[in-house]
Amino acid sequence: MTNPAVAVHGLTKIFSVPFHRQSIVAVKDLNLRIEPGEVYGLLGPNGSGKSTTLKIILGLVSPTRGRTEIFGRDSRLVESREAVGFLPENPYFYKYLTGKETLLFFGRLCGLRGAKLKNRVNELLDLVGLSKARNRRLGTYSKGMLQRIGLAQALIHDPRLVVLDEPTAGVDPAGSREIRDLILDLKQRGITVLLSSHLLAQAQEICDRVGILADGVLVREGHLQELIAIENQTEFVIADASDELVREIESFVNRSRAKLIERRKSTTTLERLFLEATAKNDEGVTKQK
Amino acid sequence: MMRTVAVLGVLIAVGTLKLPIESNLAALHRQEHFRGVEFNLDLREKIGQLGFIAALSGFRAMVADALFIQAFAAWENTEWGRMLLLFRHITTLQPRVLLFWDTAAWHMAWNASVAAMNDQTQPRLALRVKAQREYFALGKDFLERGIKNNPDRPDLYEALARLYKEKYKDHERASEYYAKAAALPGAPTFDRRFSAYELSYCEGREREAYERLRRLYDEGPPERLPTLIKRLKFLEDKLGMPQEQRIPDKEDKIAK
Amino acid sequence: MTDAEHASTLQPFNASTSAKRYRPFSFSRIYAITINTVTELTRLKVFYVLLIFALLLIGSSIFMAQFSFQQEFQILKDVSLGAISLFTSLLAIVATARLLPQDIEDRTVYTILAKPVPRLEYVLGKISGVLLLLAISTVVMGAAFLLVLYTREQAVMHATLRQMSGAPPDQVADAMRTIRSSAFNIDIFPGIVIIYLKACLLAALTLFVSTFATSNIFTIVVMAFIYFIGHLQATARDYWLQEHSSGLVTRVFLAVVALFFPDLQAFNLVDDIVAGTAISLAVFAKTAVLGVFYTVIYTLLAAFVFYGKEL
Repeated sequence: MTNPAVAVHGLTKIFSVPFHRQSIVAVKDLNLRIEPGEVYGLLGPNGSGKSTTLKIILGLVSPTRGRTEIFGRDSRLVESREAVGFLPENPYFYKYLTGKETLLFFGRLCGLRGAKLKNRVNELLDLVGLSKARNRRLGTYSKGMLQRIGLAQALIHDPRLVVLDEPTAGVDPAGSREIRDLILDLKQRGITVLLSSHLLAQAQEICDRVGILADGVLVREGHLQELIAIENQTEFVIADASDELVREIESFVNRSRAKLIERRKSTTTLERLFLEATAKNDEGVTKQK
Repeated sequence: MMRTVAVLGVLIAVGTLKLPIESNLAALHRQEHFRGVEFNLDLREKIGQLGFIAALSGFRAMVADALFIQAFAAWENTEWGRMLLLFRHITTLQPRVLLFWDTAAWHMAWNASVAAMNDQTQPRLALRVKAQREYFALGKDFLERGIKNNPDRPDLYEALARLYKEKYKDHERASEYYAKAAALPGAPTFDRRFSAYELSYCEGREREAYERLRRLYDEGPPERLPTLIKRLKFLEDKLGMPQEQRIPDKEDKIAK
Repeated sequence: MTDAEHASTLQPFNASTSAKRYRPFSFSRIYAITINTVTELTRLKVFYVLLIFALLLIGSSIFMAQFSFQQEFQILKDVSLGAISLFTSLLAIVATARLLPQDIEDRTVYTILAKPVPRLEYVLGKISGVLLLLAISTVVMGAAFLLVLYTREQAVMHATLRQMSGAPPDQVADAMRTIRSSAFNIDIFPGIVIIYLKACLLAALTLFVSTFATSNIFTIVVMAFIYFIGHLQATARDYWLQEHSSGLVTRVFLAVVALFFPDLQAFNLVDDIVAGTAISLAVFAKTAVLGVFYTVIYTLLAAFVFYGKEL
């Protein structure tokens, strides 16, 4: 059996607050297993221990009890980090560096050099769609652009696992969509993705499995579709149905032991409507309806 | 918690280790004429709080220079008393700067003394002479303390010799100090000669002076300067030396 | 080609050999952080303010022509070297105080340490950046100082030549030699190196204090205190080591000062060097080694505390 991408065994983290008698239990006896190639969403309200768990997995914080591993290597070892890339929440890179310089810097930290590094940087700038902004300082980047350059630096050393802490927080719908597409692309290339979010609708669109944390405890976990499927209900989506057909289906259902709960027009999402309405044509001008 | 204890432990261990090293280094520094200034309450009283802190922090030279500029201004106003005070501070702060001791002595023994002698507000000659001699003494004091702080350098010995020669007309002491200067590395070549010249003016030491001058003469042409020849001839006459032992007469012509 | 189409043509490279790529100690990693730190610090306004102030101070010594040339050179050297000392000490403290806290507050430290970079290398890279910047500044200011000194020396020599136009050649040579010796003294170079090493010590100590300090201001205030006490450490140490009949509290206080504070007076040699005191190789080497020793110890302590820091 191959090593899981991430393995968390009995993880407990207690923060002791000086001068207070009560310590904070951020994570309590957590067990997790993320298989290579899947997109795992660690969900939960603010303060549920998501960020702490991610930081422990990345070796930035040490556990009080238990251990975490990345592809079989203990998180506390520095070398375990060369298989993982991290995009922290609200990252703030060095403002005075350009996009290209930022990626060069992080690439050198990972041991990349020379032509290989330069090619990699160009590849990634293309991938995240920032080629045109490569020579502009990060101080001039929008939030969405910062998230994308953040994703690029996370990928600079070609990691097999990518950890994203609130990747779409504070990003506008267009930017969010781009990031989501990038995540799906990573999945296609076999890269494992661990992300934490409290934007549930967005998580729903991309995660394979999710774990829900509340007060440091994993309260629910499993495949997304299994978790949110309402067991005893079925949906059909039918295009170009005539009124007669609809009435026939309704009466068919009423004659059986099943109960018709709802019949309505399919809806698009507000997001798609928004993106369509604000889409720009080739000259960069908002299209008129 | 453990980490804090470990850090404190390391600091104490390192502290104990470095204590003798620092002590030895400080002793070495003082031996080589560095760090001769003591930062104590005495100094703080003399130069005030701000000056003390600046001096303490490694800007001792700048404080001394600032005071020196003030002393210069005081000189332009002939405020001798204020100059004396300032130069005391300056030399306390920078005991290794020969210029300060020399300038202080010069102002006292050469400038202030003359001003005292020509003081129109003091009709009595005796008191003017007394004031003049007090300034001589102040100049001498600066140079003596300067020599104590700079025993390795000839300059202040020379200055003191000059003071004895010009102000006290004490040729014996002048000779003594020129000789001391000559014995130190970096002394100019004339110190030996000047020591011998001064000795030649001392009553009862003509033979000794002659021997010294003759030895210099025998070293060769670089030492056979007009003054040296003149003093040799003078001593030869005074001692009544026989003709065969004297230096060749033709030197006379050069001397003339 | 859309982003999605473009993306899928990318090949992941050498994923299987990535396990061999990690080296436990890498100078190029440290170097990348060093250069980054230098770039970051040269963007600080305080750096430019201090540098311009120092250069102005050095340049202002040109207006000392009212004094005799010995006095002028004395003041010029004292002011310039004092400016270099002040600038490097201040910059060492102010620039280093914000290094780690800034990265932690901005969370850039997460992105760096989430890479395979040992915390020790991160700390080494940061302090090397400061030391490199201090070295460059010292060289620039030293060059400016030497330029001003040389200019004034030449001016005085020319003026003196004109005044002595009828005098015998050996007297003129003597005068020129006097001017030259009161201007330039080769021992100034080791003096400047000692000033630099003092700044290095202060930088390393500031880094150490910043690892457990609660804010920038706290670090700077503590360092100001340490700077002051450090200059009195020699007095305290002498007083403590001699058998004085002082109370227990005083003796404990003196012991604490002697033990925990570095002797900063050991690095104030340049005043006496300018005064003409020669610095022997033994004195220079021992003083330099002490400075390096302190710098290394404080850096390691900083790394040790940082290693256990919860981020």
